[in-house]
Amino acid sequence: MVGVLMGRRLPLAVCFVFGLVMFLQYFSEHPVAINLNQTILDYWQIVFAFTLIVGIFTYFKNNVTQISRGSDRPFRLVGLAGFVSMPLLALIWGIKADTPFMWMFENVQAPMQSTVFALLAFFVASASFRGFRARSLPAAVLLLSALLMLLSRSNIGGFFSEGLPEIANWIRDYPSMAARRAILIGIGLGSLTTSLRVIIGIERTWLGGDK
Amino acid sequence: MEAGTIVAGILTLAILSFLYRDNPVYKMAEYLLIGVSIGYVLVITWTNTLVSLLFEPLWTDSNLWLLIPFVLGLLMWARFHRKTAWLSRIPIGFMIGSGAGVAIPAMLYGRTLKQMSATITPLMDSSGVPDLSGLIVIIGLLTTLSYFYFSREHKGYFGGLAKLGTFFLMIFFGTTFGYTVMSRMSTFIGRMEFLLTDFLRLTN
Amino acid sequence: MKRLEARHWTFLGLFVVVTITMLLNIKLEMKVSPYTQDMYTYIESLPEGSVLIISFDHEASSLPEIRPIALAVLRHAFKKGHKLIGVSLLAEGTLIGYRLMRQTADELDLEYGRDYAYLGFRPQYIAAILAMGESIQQTYPRDYLGAPYEQFELLNTVENYNDVAAVISIADGSLTTHWIEYGQARYGVKVLGAVTAAMVTTYDPYLASGQMYAMMGGLRGAAEYEKLIERDGGGARGMLAQSSAHLYVILLVVLGNIVYFVSRKQGGGS
Repeated sequence: MVGVLMGRRLPLAVCFVFGLVMFLQYFSEHPVAINLNQTILDYWQIVFAFTLIVGIFTYFKNNVTQISRGSDRPFRLVGLAGFVSMPLLALIWGIKADTPFMWMFENVQAPMQSTVFALLAFFVASASFRGFRARSLPAAVLLLSALLMLLSRSNIGGFFSEGLPEIANWIRDYPSMAARRAILIGIGLGSLTTSLRVIIGIERTWLGGDK
Repeated sequence: MEAGTIVAGILTLAILSFLYRDNPVYKMAEYLLIGVSIGYVLVITWTNTLVSLLFEPLWTDSNLWLLIPFVLGLLMWARFHRKTAWLSRIPIGFMIGSGAGVAIPAMLYGRTLKQMSATITPLMDSSGVPDLSGLIVIIGLLTTLSYFYFSREHKGYFGGLAKLGTFFLMIFFGTTFGYTVMSRMSTFIGRMEFLLTDFLRLTN
Repeated sequence: MKRLEARHWTFLGLFVVVTITMLLNIKLEMKVSPYTQDMYTYIESLPEGSVLIISFDHEASSLPEIRPIALAVLRHAFKKGHKLIGVSLLAEGTLIGYRLMRQTADELDLEYGRDYAYLGFRPQYIAAILAMGESIQQTYPRDYLGAPYEQFELLNTVENYNDVAAVISIADGSLTTHWIEYGQARYGVKVLGAVTAAMVTTYDPYLASGQMYAMMGGLRGAAEYEKLIERDGGGARGMLAQSSAHLYVILLVVLGNIVYFVSRKQGGGS
């Protein structure tokens, strides 16, 4: 019973108090408010770090469960080996430059991760051929705008390198920027109202389930 | 050739093999990448944050106030048991509340008002020459906002404004698409530079 | 072996275009854009010894694009005698930032702790940006390798953003937004962006409103910056391949549309 009541009321109260405090301290230059602000910001980073650790533990737990069930066992074992190796290397040799930890990051993690991202270049090329079509006037405007940007940032010489970039920069700086600004303002107002709803307890989806 | 270059080259090719189709070599590399990345985050979070912000000052300087975030952090672990799971909502409430509190002035002042005031610029310069670019920004902003206004049906005069807004949006999406293509190509070019220069040594 | 599909041919085309143009190893001349010029002029015009925070707000995935951008900016700032403090608000940027700062500082025989310092990672970026506005030392009591903040000559002169000329956010995502909306709006610190091309249009409104002081973007931006500092790097080397890849995509779009309009005329649609 206590759990059921406190499970929602206490977190909502904590959310309300810290939301209000962090909002109000914005308007104060008093040393107490500044200290309180700094303290809460430090605590926030620490608690957030714990949430990362919890997430990492969940990855480990799920993998162990899946391995015991036999699903994708060899692949998951490789993944787990990679996962365990990083803290082990850091523990033994530290995290300075020229340590095995750094070596793993630079020769295993970074190359693979950037190559995964590089695959997108191929999918963009494929999508350009198969999906990027002037089916309507707005679609044609989108297409022309994209092609203009690509041409203006290519070094082909002549007008393409001299005059076109100026036209493209103007489009980027004015009509394109205006639409982006409208989106930004829309998101800003949306975030503002959502934040208010969270603090006063109307928006409660972050509480998760109903207990 | 250094061992690191050979390893990086082989793993790069393993990932690129996905372009033909999904295969066990790619899958192995993918799982390894996920494992190593998560192990990396664990190390960096532990050494760079928890040790320097929490454990060092707590044990060395006996700063007992830090027991508060420590306990809040530990409460996150309560979510692994059904009966105690509700306790993890307390640190979440702390983070969500703090985030919402600081977001209000940032969204209002740092974003909305600043962006609005930047839009309102003189439409003529001191010599009386109209600033067409500034006018286009105002028209673009208002018509795009009209497009996102759903409390009124997009018909008649208002529908026309919203329709004009879609053209500004298309220009923005096109511009963004163009720049995104550049970005993806740059990433691929970077990997090819590694393969051709360091791994295969076909060029300098 | 499966038969190659249409998408495989478009993949192969891109692969061939980029490989050939990279093997040609030709350097292209280019005009510097006003965006990159503004960034360069700002760093160039700062008095020697100005303190800059370099924030590595990116992941390893964008490293091929970010690396030339970061190297160009770091080399320029170090060469001008500015003091750099490195931080990272994304875990993956942490080691990259550490490595790049060391590499560029070593090129000029600069001393750690006096000419530059690397503070490392903080996990909650909004909290970290706001906390540094109050006290950088309290936010980072120790540097990346665990040495106390007060041990370093450079760091002893810096309490918060008031002692910093600007923050340069090297980003592949929206983290620069937080530097602007929290750091700049609240504490008035000047924010400059060195970002991937994909993020350029996201930041255009901030550049136009003056909330972001200057911004350079993408591999092309890096190539332009390399031209300004007269030192070639990954940007300049990649420009022929980059331009060719753009033209290849344009060709694909045009071909795709021709196929579409022809099939529509024949009543087949697409």
